[in-house]
Amino acid sequence: MLLAVVQPWPEGKQPPDAELMERILRRDSSALETLYDRYARPVYSLVLRISQQPASAEEIVQDVFLQLWKSADRFQISRGPLEPWLFTMARNRALDFLRLKREKQRRREDSVEGDLPIAAIERPDPEGDIDSSRRAEKIRALLSSLPDAQRRAIELAFFEGLSHSEVASAMGEALGTVKSWIRGGLLRLRESLEEARS
Amino acid sequence: MDCGQLAPLYEEYALGILEGEERAEMETHLARNCPLCTPGIAKARWVVSHLALAAPDAPPPAALRGKIMDAVKASADKVPSAKTSPEKAHAVTSIENPPAKREIFPLWAWAAAAALALITGYTIRQMGNQNSQMAELRKEMKLATLQTQALRNQLDEDRMVASVMMAPESMPLKLMPKDKNMPMVHAYLHPHMGVAITADQMPSMSAAITLQLWFLPKKGSPMSIAIFRPDSSGQIALVAPVNMPMNEIAALAVTEEPAGGSPRPTGSPAWMAQVN
Repeated sequence: MLLAVVQPWPEGKQPPDAELMERILRRDSSALETLYDRYARPVYSLVLRISQQPASAEEIVQDVFLQLWKSADRFQISRGPLEPWLFTMARNRALDFLRLKREKQRRREDSVEGDLPIAAIERPDPEGDIDSSRRAEKIRALLSSLPDAQRRAIELAFFEGLSHSEVASAMGEALGTVKSWIRGGLLRLRESLEEARS
Repeated sequence: MDCGQLAPLYEEYALGILEGEERAEMETHLARNCPLCTPGIAKARWVVSHLALAAPDAPPPAALRGKIMDAVKASADKVPSAKTSPEKAHAVTSIENPPAKREIFPLWAWAAAAALALITGYTIRQMGNQNSQMAELRKEMKLATLQTQALRNQLDEDRMVASVMMAPESMPLKLMPKDKNMPMVHAYLHPHMGVAITADQMPSMSAAITLQLWFLPKKGSPMSIAIFRPDSSGQIALVAPVNMPMNEIAALAVTEEPAGGSPRPTGSPAWMAQVN
């Protein structure tokens, strides 16, 4: 029942992403507003999960959407849909921030100040994008169905940006075990998405 | 590592966790614009991007939308203006028209300037000759680079064809010609690596015609797989992706179509082989 996951937005309700990107290329800022309304929530959620700091997450999201505005010509619909492109850009920027923060901490062992703890952030808006939250629920359910260690390995790789050997070291497990957990989990994700699409 | 060995690593590469030899192998392979692995990685990125939705839901701050739109507006306002402010205009005028200055310029200086002008003229002429030689050399180098690239592409294609042909899971097929005077076309059908097509001694073809490979499914319409032509020596060697389960393919067929190919076969198959 992952159908909703791979059909993000019903056709005809809103202009498709490709059309909005075309309009952005023609410098139509209302198209960016529409894309922001469509994707800001999952992008912010992702960036906040990685950075763990609301103020930094806000800056990163602002940077991501400004980049979308400035570099719309780098997006090619023929090479795939917008959502993965946008999520990948947001994840990479958030991981860059995280790595920089780790490096600073490693050097100076500073305590980070000024940002609210993750528990203090606003709770989800009930009037938000219902379809988006349904899709998110499906993905979370899929991850929850995995054994704890396997799910943890995937989360460390995706949200913390750790490599195979770093995940193995963080979990105190053998490299081969971690590789097979991650590979198996991703394979299951792919199969579920393909099954839903067919 | 060939495409079949790299395919299980697509998602890990898209996730950015591959390391060492596996990562290097994948990057070297992708640098060759592999027609199987490049779309495979794009699909893996799509799969992996869904993990973003597993992040705990959090609405962005209400003010963020306005901040972004203000920044967009500000960037639009930064378009350089053709108009120049009066202060700048004054500064430009001052630089372009400096106040007249009376100079004493002796005769020896005029002679030195003339000699310098002669030397400069000679040097410019020599440089002009060298530049045209350089331009010729550059042209030759560009041509050699293009030829090397074409050979490399052909070599990569041949390697891929050989990989599919030699893979144990590949199913060899003989596409028999309708015209007995035409050579046979060989196909090797692999469930993941694609279908390799080879032929020799193909006659030359009119530029208005192309060959088109089709999968004939057990149910449904023929599916276009590749459009191709024999090379100048009458050879065909290519690999095309298999985008349907092998057990659903009833037959392979090659038709002659107008240049650019057709959405549906326009004539009966010139070559054909039963699969299932």
